[in-house]
Amino acid sequence: MKKSEEISVELMHISPALAKIEKVNVFAVPEGYFDGLAEKIATTVFLQQEKKEPFQKVPEGYFDSLSSRIISKIKEEEKSADAEIKAISPALHYLKEEHVFDLPAGYFDNLSDKILNRIKNENGKVIVLNSARKWWKYAAAAVIAGIITIFSFQFINFKSGDTKTNSIVSTKMPAYMQLASHYKTAKEINQGIESLSDDEIAGYLEKNTSILDDEELIKNTDTKELPTPDDYLIDDNALSNYLQKINVESKN
Amino acid sequence: MTQIQNDQELLALFKEPATKEQAFTGIIKKYQEKLYWHIRRMVISHDDADDVLQNMFIKVWKGLDNFREDSQLYTWLYRIATNESLTFLAKAKKRSSISISDDENGLSNKLKSDNHFDANKLEWKLQLAIQSLPEKQRLVFNLRYYDEMPYEEMSHVLETSEGALKASYHHAAKKIENYILNN
Repeated sequence: MKKSEEISVELMHISPALAKIEKVNVFAVPEGYFDGLAEKIATTVFLQQEKKEPFQKVPEGYFDSLSSRIISKIKEEEKSADAEIKAISPALHYLKEEHVFDLPAGYFDNLSDKILNRIKNENGKVIVLNSARKWWKYAAAAVIAGIITIFSFQFINFKSGDTKTNSIVSTKMPAYMQLASHYKTAKEINQGIESLSDDEIAGYLEKNTSILDDEELIKNTDTKELPTPDDYLIDDNALSNYLQKINVESKN
Repeated sequence: MTQIQNDQELLALFKEPATKEQAFTGIIKKYQEKLYWHIRRMVISHDDADDVLQNMFIKVWKGLDNFREDSQLYTWLYRIATNESLTFLAKAKKRSSISISDDENGLSNKLKSDNHFDANKLEWKLQLAIQSLPEKQRLVFNLRYYDEMPYEEMSHVLETSEGALKASYHHAAKKIENYILNN
């Protein structure tokens, strides 16, 4: 007896009425439902497995050391300037630690106080002067700037009677710059100095001493060593020689 | 105030009249050495560096109220220090045009006038080589070589693209190397 006949006989014994009803599938399925169903189910099952254990192979303690590894990588990036110069020029990398510049001992100790004092006394210009040598650089610059300025006015007034044109020229370019182009050598400048009177130089300095500090001037200048008015008359290079002399002294 | 505070704290204290000076002192103390050396390498002499440093901090005092906190205080300070140094050098150049002596110009001469200068020593040759670079390239070289500043920050200080800065640094280093080898 076939299996289906056995099942029918069995059902006939249990319920003759039920056994007589024809077996019909009353449930409908979408057309093509079974096409590719196996692959669809297999994919769903695979993805569910992945979700359960997404990174099975993360090394033990990976997250414990993650932050420190990121920080060390950042530090490595910061150090890259060192590595970079080593790659470009090993010689420069070697020289990097050699320092040549001096600075006064304790310079940074009171710097902030010095700056705050300057801010508080903003109306009075304060120039910190640390050496006679530096002061003389300012003094020399002031004297020469004065000479050139005075000369430039003379030059402009002398050159032409057309005062309108001159005034336009002089407002476009600072006078000392216009004149500076005419003096290219120390000799030419010295010739210009010759024709200036002491009063003209003194007058200029009186009007333009805002960058000079009188106290520092007195403190740093040995008046006995200064050229006398006669020295200027005797020797055209008196000022130049004196400046060179104190420059040499300050270097030694 | 002895401890180094972070910039945000210092800026917040600066906004309060009662703690303004304290905060400013803190900012000076925190950055004075870095900025001093940055300036010193540009202007060479200590006296000039001292002047430029003080002037730049006075400008910082005046401008800090308007400082936009979306940029870093550190790069802002470097930018001011750089501009002050360049302004100083430009003025010095003008002054040298009316100098009595033709020898009294140039940063190389300033280096050579240093009491410790020794033309045979490599470290001094390096300094002479750096001074032979164009101004902008010198800045890039100093900021990278000595200050080890990341290119990103340097691009804020010098307002130049990172790519251009990298190229500039590379050229500067090669020029310096050639100068040292040939002098």
